[in-house]
Amino acid sequence: MTQEISLLAVFADLEPAADAIEQLRLIGVHDDCMNVISGVPVTEAMLGRPSQWTNVPRLALGGAILGFLTGAILAFITPTIYGIKVGGQGFAPVPPSIIVLFELTMLGMLLSTFLGVFLDSYFPSYRPMKYVTEVSDGKIAILVECPHTDETKITDALKKLGAESVQPAEAQHL
Amino acid sequence: MAYQKQNLDRPAASHAVHHKTEENLREEHLMLDPLPRGQMNEMVMDSMRTTSWKFWVVFAILSVIVAVGLFYSWGYMILNGLGVAGVNRPVYWGIFLVNTVFWIGISHAGTFISAILRVFKAEFRRPFTRAAELMTTFGLVQAGFSIFMHLGRVWLAYWLMPYPNERGIWPNFHSPLSWDLLAITTYLLSSTMYLFLPLIPDLAMARDRSTGWQKTFYRILALGFRGTEGEWVHLRNAMNIFAFAIIPVMFSVHTIVSWDFAMATRPGWSSTIFGPYFVIGALHSGMGAVIMVLAVVRGTMKNMKYFIRPEHFEAIGKLMLIISMAWAYFFFNDYLVQWYGGDKWTKQLLEWHEKGPMGWMWFSMLVLNVVIPWAILWNRKWRSTPWLVFIVGLGINVGMWFERYIIIPISVTINRMPFTWRLYHPGIEVPMGIGTLAFFILLYMAASRLVPLVPVWEVQEGQMAHSLKKFGRETVVTVSELD
Repeated sequence: MTQEISLLAVFADLEPAADAIEQLRLIGVHDDCMNVISGVPVTEAMLGRPSQWTNVPRLALGGAILGFLTGAILAFITPTIYGIKVGGQGFAPVPPSIIVLFELTMLGMLLSTFLGVFLDSYFPSYRPMKYVTEVSDGKIAILVECPHTDETKITDALKKLGAESVQPAEAQHL
Repeated sequence: MAYQKQNLDRPAASHAVHHKTEENLREEHLMLDPLPRGQMNEMVMDSMRTTSWKFWVVFAILSVIVAVGLFYSWGYMILNGLGVAGVNRPVYWGIFLVNTVFWIGISHAGTFISAILRVFKAEFRRPFTRAAELMTTFGLVQAGFSIFMHLGRVWLAYWLMPYPNERGIWPNFHSPLSWDLLAITTYLLSSTMYLFLPLIPDLAMARDRSTGWQKTFYRILALGFRGTEGEWVHLRNAMNIFAFAIIPVMFSVHTIVSWDFAMATRPGWSSTIFGPYFVIGALHSGMGAVIMVLAVVRGTMKNMKYFIRPEHFEAIGKLMLIISMAWAYFFFNDYLVQWYGGDKWTKQLLEWHEKGPMGWMWFSMLVLNVVIPWAILWNRKWRSTPWLVFIVGLGINVGMWFERYIIIPISVTINRMPFTWRLYHPGIEVPMGIGTLAFFILLYMAASRLVPLVPVWEVQEGQMAHSLKKFGRETVVTVSELD
């Protein structure tokens, strides 16, 4: 069984990083074995990477439905349990109920969107992680998982493509 | 011969002019004047860490005002009852509610700047979105305080919450006051989340540059963010959803606040246009407050002159001018329809506004909200001058506070029972109101030392997208869509 190793290559710019990803693919590194770390949002298209999956919009929709149902309970069901007759209105009049439905739908959607980021990104996570602080200075890092035997080949290729440094990545407390 | 020489020199002269224009454009626009990211990070961190003695003097004074004006006075009112406030028949809605409406109005600026300008891809927003978003959260905190003050028996505030109980007490969700609770809670929670999401990458940046307790503080708040592809995708998606969804929430909040008044069949209040009139008023005061905050931040915090430039005051000034015109339009609409209706009590009320003992406030409102902004903001040079727009912003905020004072206690004075008419004289509400203002500034000052006020990653992203392009002899700014 081959031993796996993580390499962290740091690039000064976007262009060489994108070239490096292409080269890594040619060498035989699968997209799943690469991750790009950057200080600004760099789109998958810029790097020639496959689209990333995110559950955030689905969770937002789920939250909106849940919020709507909560609003419906408050607007239509509880008034029949605790009856208050106001200004000749019915127990569950529609026009004022729309406001309750709207506010709770939006609250549900926005809360679940926020929680969706936490769930999808595994936040909060205070475990040791593979990272270099140069990233927040604008550098772009490529994290590559590869067999130990390919280390030299990949390191050379990345350096040739302009990597400022390529080193085995060690998990550390951020 | 001279003519020929002039022609020969033209390409060189044109090149020099072109070069100068390019230089001027870079100097003028932050997006065209990039610095290395590390340097920008350092500048922002440095601005947070550099604190002069003047800062601490102001901080101490404000702390005393908050302790005495807000908390001591509130405690005194809780012990002695609402009688120490000036509210009495017929004016039961006084400064506490004026301040509630005022602070909710201030809170609209953050969402307007951050969400609406993000949706419309207005690039000038980038360096000051956070400064505006902080105002939203801190403004809503003051609005919350003000409404709790108005409750009087604040310890019973939980009665507003729906919970099963043996007394059969349940909030009436078809009442504007319950809508208020829902709308303000939704807006406070969503604007706080919307403040936090784009802050995460900057907290990670601060974590990478800190030591000791600060490192621990930022490490906890950054949640382990590294900037992986997945993290950015989730964040970008969430921010897009927030930017679109928070706009109707923002509109709903101030519309619902206006319905607190408009749903009552009182002279001066029962108006179908109150919703949009309140929303535009909120944006008016909010934008005025943003420009004031930016002028202070630029003038007092280190390195902020690089991030906040006259171009930003110019752009906000333009928005303020448009909003001022829109406010005047809604005000006139509201006024004309009431005046034309000819209802006896409404006529009395309108006369009371203009000719009553507080008539000076009505005229000042128009001068501060319309005359001064129009007189100054039409001029590009004037609206790019920070101290001048600070004064305009201050005037607008005073004018908008007057507007709320006229709508609430002054209008409540006139009702259909003339024997109850009595002018409102505020009591303990005044120090408590000043206390909320001091608390707002105090929270902002504390945040300016703990939170990067400039979203550096957003600025860098904008700088990546901007470039100069030549069309014939002219150099123009171009923006690429990086999404």
